[in-house]
Amino acid sequence: MQTTYADHFRHGDNYINPLPVRIWHWVNALGFVLLILTGFQLRYMDLFRLLSFEETVKLHNWTGFVVIANYFIWLSFYLFTDKIKVYHPELDAKKFFSDSFRQIRFYSYGIFKGESSPHRVSPYDKFNPMQMVAYQVMMLVVVPIQFTTGIMMWDVKRFGNWIELMGGIRVVDTVHVLIFILFVFFILVHAYMGALGQKPSTHFKEMFTGYEEKD
Amino acid sequence: MNTKLQVLVIDDDAVVGRSFDRVLSEKGYEVSTVQSGEEALDSIENTKFDVVFTDIKMPGMDGLEVTERIKARCPWTPVVVITGFGSEDNEARASVLGASGFVHKPLTPEIIENITLKALNEKVVAEEPVEEVGMANKADADTAQQAGVLRKAGIFAKNAGLFFAAPFIALAYIIALPFVGFYMFAKLGYQAYNKRHLSA
Repeated sequence: MQTTYADHFRHGDNYINPLPVRIWHWVNALGFVLLILTGFQLRYMDLFRLLSFEETVKLHNWTGFVVIANYFIWLSFYLFTDKIKVYHPELDAKKFFSDSFRQIRFYSYGIFKGESSPHRVSPYDKFNPMQMVAYQVMMLVVVPIQFTTGIMMWDVKRFGNWIELMGGIRVVDTVHVLIFILFVFFILVHAYMGALGQKPSTHFKEMFTGYEEKD
Repeated sequence: MNTKLQVLVIDDDAVVGRSFDRVLSEKGYEVSTVQSGEEALDSIENTKFDVVFTDIKMPGMDGLEVTERIKARCPWTPVVVITGFGSEDNEARASVLGASGFVHKPLTPEIIENITLKALNEKVVAEEPVEEVGMANKADADTAQQAGVLRKAGIFAKNAGLFFAAPFIALAYIIALPFVGFYMFAKLGYQAYNKRHLSA
């Protein structure tokens, strides 16, 4: 039998991720995986070959544009509405540090003893302090740098002046590859952390149903 | 298509629901009233409300629980808590749960109208054409529209500032974290040493 919203309410489940957020997340996830796979093939052609070089370049470029468009949807909501408060910085340093050390203690000790996470998730406060800082750096610094360098390399002639300004194509390429390596680690850590819910499937289900189930 | 703004009032005292209905229906709102939290949760499954008013003290599910569950389902819908015994504790809890505002009984028509406009401002109701939402009072609608535009500009300025400040604040926290951790360990050690030394 299908679970209704009212069933979730009665069960006390917390509605964390509305449908647009879930669609946005999965478009990003699929985009990142495709970019990583095609990026690997472009960079290390001798290791594996899923598509021809030309097809791989096309797929990499189009996926890149979809991910960039997805980023700007997020940015519009961030700038013009009050709906994305979870990426706002914590301005109370004392609160940040005390919450962070509580979270570090949980990850390094409490989690192995079966304790619950000290961070209580709500729609406006989804991230614990460590996640919050990590996502801010990713979304506000790393992702924009990655798509800027990607666009530069997409059309080297058109963006020649910009590339020169950054120190040449080697610098742009190196930055793009270093961030690409960072993203590979990010995806692995992200999936690992996603499995640290009440049950390994809890957070994954949450990203499909929108609800954080209480048990 | 119904273009009227939808208001839901949850109060076990039917008189309160009727008061809201009388005042707001005249102003062109569509008012639904229910007398329990359970009925309210069923209602929001079928109707998209623009603003919800809930009493705190009700048999069964209380107003705080209703607020939490409505905000969990529709985080962007303003929920205003009506209270007859405005304890600061209840207000603080409701605020944490996402309540947009509080209104204390006894309610006058002016209070009902003003708190509704104020709550709708949060949803930036100014985007809706005045005639479509059926507001009879043009002056109020204009005020709401101006306030909505100002609010949008304010939101943009604040968010743009936070967008540029957030990475620097995050990096400052990351750099400071080990130092703060070391200081806290040293402080704990010092306190433990003092305690032992004094008790010896």
